[in-house]
Amino acid sequence: MSGRVKVKFRLNGVGKTDEIEPNQTLCDYLHDVAGMTSVKKGCDTGECGACTVLLDDMPVSSCLVLAPQIEGREVVTAEGLGTNSSPHPVQSGFVEQDAVQCGYCIPGMIVTLSWIFEHAPGASDEEIKRLMSGNLCRCTGYLQQIEALKTARKRA
Amino acid sequence: MKPFQYLAPIPPFEYLSPETLSELFEALDGHGKELQVIAGGTDLVIALKERMVTPKVVVDLRRLRRELGGIKVEEGVLRMGALSTFSQLESSPFVARYAEALRQAAASVGTLQIRSIATLGGNLATASPAADSAPPLIALGAKVTLLSASGARTLPVQEIFAGPKRNGLRPGEIVSSVELPANADVRSAWTRAAVRNENVLSTVSVAVASAIRDGRFGPSRVALGAVAPTPILAEKASEAMTGSQATAEQADRVASLAAEDSKPISDIRASAHYRKRLVYVLTRRLIVQMISETMVP
Repeated sequence: MSGRVKVKFRLNGVGKTDEIEPNQTLCDYLHDVAGMTSVKKGCDTGECGACTVLLDDMPVSSCLVLAPQIEGREVVTAEGLGTNSSPHPVQSGFVEQDAVQCGYCIPGMIVTLSWIFEHAPGASDEEIKRLMSGNLCRCTGYLQQIEALKTARKRA
Repeated sequence: MKPFQYLAPIPPFEYLSPETLSELFEALDGHGKELQVIAGGTDLVIALKERMVTPKVVVDLRRLRRELGGIKVEEGVLRMGALSTFSQLESSPFVARYAEALRQAAASVGTLQIRSIATLGGNLATASPAADSAPPLIALGAKVTLLSASGARTLPVQEIFAGPKRNGLRPGEIVSSVELPANADVRSAWTRAAVRNENVLSTVSVAVASAIRDGRFGPSRVALGAVAPTPILAEKASEAMTGSQATAEQADRVASLAAEDSKPISDIRASAHYRKRLVYVLTRRLIVQMISETMVP
């Protein structure tokens, strides 16, 4: 009765077709099957944001999406935002502001902050805090990450 | 290596994603409780992981965006498709203009990552007593349109709530859209109390809709969330507010009646006593604020 589902989508800018088990989340599919190890499983219940990816250019908790739901859509993970030689401005901001401690929340945090960088360039500190409230970090206390976003804005 | 999972893997199911309404109704036919419908998935995927539901078939509505999506105003009616996400509601100029209370609630639901995918239709169909979209819709007199193979039917929004996490959908029926009068004279506002500011279930939520003219409230409705088995219209409060003087004293009276209208329980978030007090405080706050905003020329 169950069966794999043929799914066509774009992952980090590259068209892809795969036969996907429907009873897995997008988080598990991206991390375990597609090899996108930046996609971290934290709470697995949509609270922590470690699994945040862009789905059609909106940040989503990939642990709350069934993998076949990406049919026809564009998925971007932290891997797709920048590279070592050409990092995203927000990634450079993280390096400059030393906004990383253990690192587990960071890919999801960077996905969310890159979205704020692109779509809410004028967001105030309060608005930034509201928009990033779905990304929990138990190390840094968040201030360095807000500074990292501001550094990215200054460089842009 | 076996991947690490906090929750056991979701048991297998058949996944269907119909592309037309006739395919949808065919997919919905005859499965009963073995079938679950998925829209945004923010409630269902957790229910699947926690084995609160173990469907044999999951039917995805997402490819029916044309039929079940979109936010528009036509002939004096604001129509929001069931697949409208909270992010779309939050950023829609139509919602801001005709349903400010709903915009405020939509902007507060969950997190950015939840609002991006969670849908209005899903929020109603999940039928949580704390569903944040419900009090604004009830206060604004919204109706929900349900669709099945045998046609459409329309209900006042509160009637889709049958009990805690129980909806009034018939087998084979889905939420299609929500409609409310597009009347820019009606002001509405929503607020809530919760144990923290973000990503939290409302302990109590309140929405008020009214039009103040010549110092009096026009037809008014006060609606409450998380203080009864379902979101409710506060009937005594709404009646007392309608046609009365727009004064702070009256706000106080309406707020006391709203507290009387509420039937809260004690749970992990708050005691029944505290919830009643919150209904009074939040209702009063919204009405006083509405009066002061109207006074500003």
